[in-house]
Amino acid sequence: MPQQLSAKEQSLFRTVVRNYEDKQYKKGVKAADQILRKNPKHGDTLAMKALIMNSQGKTDEAFALAKVALQCDMKSHVCWHVYGLLYRAVKNFEEAIKAYKFALRLEPDSAQIQRDLALLQIQMRDYQGYIVSRRAMLTARSTLRQSWTALAVAHHLNGELAEAERVLTAYEDTLKHPPPKSDFENSEAVMYKNSLIAEQGDIPKALEHLESAGKYNLDKLAVLELRATYLAKLDRKEEAAKAYRALLDRNSEYKKYYDGLIEAMEIDPQDIKLRKAVYDGYAEKYPRCDAARRLPLDFLHGDDFQEAASGYIRRMLDKGVPSTFANLKHLYSDSSKKEVLPSLVQQYIDSDKSSANEEPKRNGDTSKGASAAYYFLAQHYNYYLSRDLDKAMEYIERAIELEPESVDFHMTKARIWKHYGDTQSASEVMEQARALDTRDRHINTKAAKYQLRNDDSEAAIKTMGLFTRAETVGGPLADLHDMQCVWFLTEDGQSYVRQGKIGLALKRFTSIYNIFDVWQEDQFDFHSFSLRKGQIRAYVEMMRWEDHLREHPFYSRAALSAVDVYIKIHDKPLMNGTNGVGNGDAEDAAERKKAAKKARKEAQKAERELAAKRAEPNKPTTPGSDDPKKKDDDPDGAKLAATTEPMNDAMKFLTPLLQFSPKSIDVQIAGFEVYIRRRKYLLALKCLLAAYALDKEHSKVHEQIVRFKLALDEDSEILPPKSAEVIKSEFTLLPACVDLSKYNDEYLSKHKDCARRTLSTLKVRKLLKPDSASAIEKEVAGIVKLPTITMGEAIEALELLTLWKSSEAEGFRTEAAAKWPKATIFATKA
Amino acid sequence: MDIRLLQPSDIPHVQHANITNLPENYFMKYYLYHALSWPQLSYVAVDVSRPKKTPYDYPRIVGYVLAKMEEDPPDGVQHGHITSLSVMRTHRRLGIAEKLMRQSQKAMVETFGAQYVSLHVRVSNNAALRLYRDTLGFKNEKIEAKYYADGEDAYSMKLDLGFIREQIMDEQEAEEVDEGEPVGELGNKEEGKELAVRGKDEGKKRKVRVGRGLGVGDLVERDESHKA
Repeated sequence: MPQQLSAKEQSLFRTVVRNYEDKQYKKGVKAADQILRKNPKHGDTLAMKALIMNSQGKTDEAFALAKVALQCDMKSHVCWHVYGLLYRAVKNFEEAIKAYKFALRLEPDSAQIQRDLALLQIQMRDYQGYIVSRRAMLTARSTLRQSWTALAVAHHLNGELAEAERVLTAYEDTLKHPPPKSDFENSEAVMYKNSLIAEQGDIPKALEHLESAGKYNLDKLAVLELRATYLAKLDRKEEAAKAYRALLDRNSEYKKYYDGLIEAMEIDPQDIKLRKAVYDGYAEKYPRCDAARRLPLDFLHGDDFQEAASGYIRRMLDKGVPSTFANLKHLYSDSSKKEVLPSLVQQYIDSDKSSANEEPKRNGDTSKGASAAYYFLAQHYNYYLSRDLDKAMEYIERAIELEPESVDFHMTKARIWKHYGDTQSASEVMEQARALDTRDRHINTKAAKYQLRNDDSEAAIKTMGLFTRAETVGGPLADLHDMQCVWFLTEDGQSYVRQGKIGLALKRFTSIYNIFDVWQEDQFDFHSFSLRKGQIRAYVEMMRWEDHLREHPFYSRAALSAVDVYIKIHDKPLMNGTNGVGNGDAEDAAERKKAAKKARKEAQKAERELAAKRAEPNKPTTPGSDDPKKKDDDPDGAKLAATTEPMNDAMKFLTPLLQFSPKSIDVQIAGFEVYIRRRKYLLALKCLLAAYALDKEHSKVHEQIVRFKLALDEDSEILPPKSAEVIKSEFTLLPACVDLSKYNDEYLSKHKDCARRTLSTLKVRKLLKPDSASAIEKEVAGIVKLPTITMGEAIEALELLTLWKSSEAEGFRTEAAAKWPKATIFATKA
Repeated sequence: MDIRLLQPSDIPHVQHANITNLPENYFMKYYLYHALSWPQLSYVAVDVSRPKKTPYDYPRIVGYVLAKMEEDPPDGVQHGHITSLSVMRTHRRLGIAEKLMRQSQKAMVETFGAQYVSLHVRVSNNAALRLYRDTLGFKNEKIEAKYYADGEDAYSMKLDLGFIREQIMDEQEAEEVDEGEPVGELGNKEEGKELAVRGKDEGKKRKVRVGRGLGVGDLVERDESHKA
């Protein structure tokens, strides 16, 4: 039977609640203890104390105490609510929802519990549950517009568009007078309703609604954009064209508007002249407009292109716009444009020379023209579609000669060095560029990035430290974590991979993983905040983006790198986890065992301590343990690297990759590599088939087909008959009784000019014929002679020979060094 | 370079542009707070011609303006505030920053009835000062000593947005004339304008429900934390 409190204690209990709400935790605990002295089994007080302790960072004690509270009073909604809040705090949302539901059953009228439950349901995308909650909340507070909008959003997200619209209309019908024009909540609700109508495909109704209800809407741009779209869809071309013109007058730098206008004008796509005239009109109307001058270059050809491009380039070079090349390089996919553009720049330079002694040059101040032109040519020859690094270097030196202080020119010079493969010089030149403008963070960022590419991690963090906040505890690295600086953490991790510092690498990639967790968690507060603000469309858009947050390349890049590292740990468990490239394998093994043992011991110790703490939940805690920011007990990632189950750990990164980026071939290839090592053949096959569908000639796909067959043959006995059957019917990439060597050779003869694919077939050959290893290694070394081989492919070949501990490696390195004399990676190590 | 509204899915790249270019950084939630509170005010410049490398590429952001309305303005006057503005070094001298600012300023007036827009700028940042003062017409309000974390002072600048209100008025007038609804006395344009101006002045006093009472609570975690 739950204990009853006296009147005095009841008031004390209210004080506890207030203390908690005011974040006066120490006072709260004191007051709770006062109640508990007389009523040690008062469930609600125990629960409130647990809640406060949790806010003080004592999560484990709080959980233990909350359980005690529940034992004392199973029928208390406070105890269940607190239990849910604790689970919510440790992000175990499923358990939290369960606890809230218990609490709500005991106290169905509690708005607070209902609200907490609803927020978790939408965070977890339990749309059905959310609709039920929102309907209950609407019944409780039906005068509030928010309640109606929230229910509409719930239906909308659940795909019930008509129902969502009906709910909004039901609220509108309750209004006796239309709200004033300046009522923002109403203004947004109208636009939200309009988007629901349009999403249902009823464009005439959407337009009608927009022109009546939305006429004086506060979101003017949205009205103009939607109106243009609807008119175009309804084939009311003339009005659509007018609408797009209105948009272009607002913002003439948006391609979408030009496209809309031209389509609405029903210009034949072949009628280049007419299309061009539209852009010319805006170029004239808006002298500072870039888009109207640049966009026609996409569709113009021949003399028309030459003329337009010439005008554009002159204008940009005269102004010394540094992004001229960046604005035009997408045109290089057209080979004739690729020829024309640099020749126009050359003409620009020549014309300047010829008129050097005559009249004033061109219009106005064109002093930047020559250097900008050289700069353009340097970038042209540095670009992968038109690369000639020696020429690039020549032009950038000329540009620098004219403007020795130009940060941009030095930046490009560093990039040229990077493409030579000389990471050292690249980093040094970028550092020179940084020194030219020490107050600019952009160049500082580049300098740090190039230091990382040169595997100088210490210098890089020092450079970054010039701009991070000085007060942050833990220094620049902590600040970069706080500020979610994804690029740095990723580059730093990848540099550690190259340096063989596996622990630190995993540490960084794990940080990226955690940042994405935070980004997912970030939406939580907006479930209530956005309703209060009334910004519904933006909220819905955010929800849809969050639904596939982890498809972002920021995630996949780090995650793929992490999976790769785990595969390396699996394949070479002898590798030293923390320190550099392993030399003595036996030594490594011992080191690794030691590290694993140490990690195990520490885990056991932590568990013991935890158990001890749990045993005495009411024991006062030591001061200082309030510190909510926990100390990192594995700053170098030694524990991560000491894993004994790397393939399990890889799954953490791989699962979101496969879920959100299935169309990425790199993801499918990585998936295969993990599953085949875990002997999950059906899942491996699924990845392989997906990769094959994306690019059946991919070098890795070829390799994996053969390896899959070999693994099946080897493991055929342990395979469950059902799986074997499915695999037999699905794995049709190889003819039933094919000779693998022959199959491999056929692929090779088809792709003998491609270094990467040749490398793949040689890897396969070594698998099939381990006896002829030395002959195969010779062939691998031979690919350096392929005319089309890239530096990246040569690096892969060298890595392979090194992995095989082949005697060919040194010879290969020498030959590669002759071919890429400036590349650091092939230089003999001092 | 497209200039368009910022969308939530742009945020990782906007954050990237910010931390690449500027010392004042924010975590994602603060960007979300802007995008979800005043979705009409923040704009991005996007390199749309960049060829895609993966099927999941997001548009690369080369410039952005992150803007808000002042919640609970101390002077009681609705006004906008520029939280952050930057353009990648590789895309400067194209007028991107100015174009971003103009779009944002217009929306501040249209959607939220802003009377003026304010911002802070480092006293040493000449390029930014040229843009704000010379190109956009901002006026220097005062110097805030040691505003930035590294101890540098800030100019606190303001731009009265009255000229945009007038523009909007002119446009509305033109529109209404287009639609055959005469404004004021026919043939007496001056008076017509007078009327419209007065009408607008009424609008100036209207209360737009933003900010007040709709607190952000702990959302503004690192807001202005660069203040000393």
